[in-house]
Amino acid sequence: MLKFLIRRLLQGILVVWGVITVMFILRAVSPGDPAVLMAGEGADDEIIQRVREAEGLDEPLLSQYLDYLGSILVGDFGFSWEARSEVTAIVIRRIPATIELAVAATVVALVIAVPLGVISGTRRNEPADYGATLFSLLGISTPNFWLGLMLILVLGVWYGIPYPSIGTSSFSTGSFVVEYPSSIGLGLFDFPTGRREIGFTAAVSAVLFEQSLSELGAWLRHITLPALTLGTYFTALITRLTRSGMIDELGKPYVTSMEAKGLPRILILYKHTLRNTMIPIITVIGLQIGTLAGGAVITETVFNWPGLGLRLIDALNDRDWPVIQGIVIFIAVGFVVINIVVDALYNYLDPQVSES
Amino acid sequence: MTEDILKISDLSTRFFTSEGQVNAVERISLNVGEGEVFGIVGESGSGKSVTALSIVDLVESPGQITSGSIEYRNAELADALEADYPDAVDGEFVDVLSVPESVRRSLRGPSFSMIFQDPESSFNPSVTVGEQIAEAVEVQRRARADPRSTRARTQGVEYSLSGYLTSALLPSKRFVTTESKERAIELLEMVGIPDPVKRAEEYPHQYSGGMLQRAMIAQALAGEPDVLIADEPTTALDVTIQAQVLDILSELQREVGMTILLITHDLGVVARMCDRVGVMYAGEIVEQGTLADIFEENVHPYTAGLLGSVPVLDDVGGRLRPIEGNVPSLLDSEMGGGCYFADRCPKAMEECLRKPRTFDGPGSDDHVSMCYLADHPYEEGEALSDEHFESTGGDDR
Repeated sequence: MLKFLIRRLLQGILVVWGVITVMFILRAVSPGDPAVLMAGEGADDEIIQRVREAEGLDEPLLSQYLDYLGSILVGDFGFSWEARSEVTAIVIRRIPATIELAVAATVVALVIAVPLGVISGTRRNEPADYGATLFSLLGISTPNFWLGLMLILVLGVWYGIPYPSIGTSSFSTGSFVVEYPSSIGLGLFDFPTGRREIGFTAAVSAVLFEQSLSELGAWLRHITLPALTLGTYFTALITRLTRSGMIDELGKPYVTSMEAKGLPRILILYKHTLRNTMIPIITVIGLQIGTLAGGAVITETVFNWPGLGLRLIDALNDRDWPVIQGIVIFIAVGFVVINIVVDALYNYLDPQVSES
Repeated sequence: MTEDILKISDLSTRFFTSEGQVNAVERISLNVGEGEVFGIVGESGSGKSVTALSIVDLVESPGQITSGSIEYRNAELADALEADYPDAVDGEFVDVLSVPESVRRSLRGPSFSMIFQDPESSFNPSVTVGEQIAEAVEVQRRARADPRSTRARTQGVEYSLSGYLTSALLPSKRFVTTESKERAIELLEMVGIPDPVKRAEEYPHQYSGGMLQRAMIAQALAGEPDVLIADEPTTALDVTIQAQVLDILSELQREVGMTILLITHDLGVVARMCDRVGVMYAGEIVEQGTLADIFEENVHPYTAGLLGSVPVLDDVGGRLRPIEGNVPSLLDSEMGGGCYFADRCPKAMEECLRKPRTFDGPGSDDHVSMCYLADHPYEEGEALSDEHFESTGGDDR
C-alpha cells in the first residue's frame, strides 16, 4: 500500500511539473509584453524598462523558467499584475467557494443518482425505469450554461421565487426587476464584495454558536441552484452507470447463490450488488469531482459564484498570467490528489486489486 | 425405505421466450426419502438444473412453474401454515407451490439449500468467504431465534432498508454477528479447510476451486437444511478434487443424516453416492428406481445408452458407444406427440409414436420407466427404420 502511494505520488508530481511547464511555455509564446501589462496603463518606456529588469524579464527564458520553478518549490506563486496581491492569497481566498460548490454538486448527484439507479436497475422495463432513463438522457444532453440560465429565468424571474440567483442576497424578490434578465452577460455581472457573504463554515458556526438557522438557510438558498446546475450532468451519468451496473451484477450467479441461502433481498441489493456496482463508479466519481473543481468555470460564471473558475475567467480577461498559472496549477494538484485518493479507495473496495 | 421428505408430482416448468415456449421440465414426478441421496442424471439441457431451481423457487424470468406440486414434509411448518393456507397443507406436508412468495423465501436456507456448479462465480468476489458463510448462519439463527418464530418461519427474516442503513453506520447493528462468524469458522473446519480462522478472512479469489467448493458446502450447511440440493457439485473441479468433495458430502450425509438431491451428468458420481436415481431426458424423467434398478435392470434404451457411453477402464479394447444424434430442442412447437427419444432410439417401434405412459420396471417396487419396452418384449422385426423418421415423425422434432 505504501509502495503504491509513493509510486502514485511520484507520478502525480510529474503530471504537475508538466502542467507548470506547459503553462510557462504558453505564457512565453502568448502575445503581449508582460512588462507593459505589469507597469499598468500610461507608464512610460523608462518605467516599463525598470519593471522588466526588476522582474527579470530581460533574462533568457530558461533562467526565467528555472527561477519560476524554484519559487514554486518554496510556495511562491508570484504577484498578481492586476490585483497587486499575492497569487497564493487570491487562490486560497477562492478555494472554499469552489470546494463547497463541487461537494454540494457531488452530494446532489449521489443522493439522487444512486437510489434512482438502483430503482431503475431492479425494476427494469417498468415505469420507474423509463422515467429514470428519460431523466438521465435529458440530464446528459443538457448543457450547463443553458440549464443555469433557465433555472435563473424560470425560478428567479418568471415565478419570482425568492431566490438569490447570483452570488449575493442582493436580489430582492417580487419586485420584478426587468433589468435583471437583460443584464445577463459575462461582463455585466458584478460581484460586489469579492467574497461570499455566507460561507458554509460561517453558516455552520452560526448554527452551533448562535443557534441560528437563518445563516444556514441563506447558504442553502445561495448554493442550491448552482449545485443543481453543476450536478445535473453528473447525476445523469451516475444514474446510468448505477443502473447498468446493477443490471449486470444482478445477473451474476452469486446473486442466485445468495437467494438460495435465504439472505434478505435488501442485503443482497445493498450489501452485495450495489457495493460491487460502486467499485467502478468510484473512479468516475473521482474523475468527475476533479472536473467539477476545475471545470465549474461556466456554472460559476453564470451564477457569479466567487470560486476559482470565475477568478480564472477574470484573470484571463486581464491577461493576469501569474493568477492564471496559479489557479491552473492548483486545479492540477487537486486533480492529482483526488485521483490518488480514489485509487486508494478502490484498493479498499475491491480486494482483487489490492492483491496485485 | 424411509419416509418421504419431498414429493414432487407433475411438475412442469416452462420458459416463455421470444422464440416460443420451451418445456424445460415436463410433468415430472419423484419422491425423495428422508436421509437418502437421490440422483438426477442426464445430458446437458435435459432440465436437471431447472428442476433444482424449481424446488427452491429460483427459476428466473421468463421461466415459470406452470403446474404440479412440490410437497415438503415439515410438521412444524405445516402447523404454522394450516390456519392461513389450509389448501397448501396436507397432514405433515406443505405444498410449497401453493404458499405465497414470502413463505417460499423463508424455506431457502433452513429447509432447502443449494450448492452450485461453479464455486468461483457463486461467491461475491468482494466480500470475505467467512462473512458470506456467516450470513447464511445468521439467516438460520434469526429464523429460529425470533420470538415470533412461527412468523419468522412463514414470513422470512425481516430486514428493512433503514435496518441496513443503521447497520452500515453502527458496527454493533451489523447483520452478521460475532457468534455467526465463529460458527462460520467451525463450518469451514468441518469441510476440511486448513487454518479456518485465517481463511475465513480471505476473499474468494484467494481460494482454490476445490477449497471454494468446500466453502460453498459449508455455506449450504450453515442453514442446517433438511434437503441439500447439489447441482453438478463436482463438474468444475479436477478429478482428484472431485473425489475429495464427494467424500465430504457423503461423510456429512452419514453424520447429519441429511437428504441430498444430487444433480449430475456423471454416472460415476451417481454410482458412488446415490441410493435412488432418476434419469432425465428432454425435460422428463424417463426412468427412475434404485441404483441397482438403473444400473442392472434398466429397460429404457436411453438409460442403457447413457451407461454405454461411459468409458470403463478395465474394458480393454472395448469401444465407447455414444448415443447417436442430439438432445432434441425443447421448443413446444417442435416437440412431437410420441416418445421424445424415439428418433435416437435403436429400438423405436410403432408404439413409440404414441404418447408415452409410465410402466412398472422389472427391478424393485420403485422402478418405473416411460418406455413401452418395460411392458413388452422387444422383437427385432417391429423396429421402425430411419426413413420412417425422416418422412414422418422426424420433422416434428
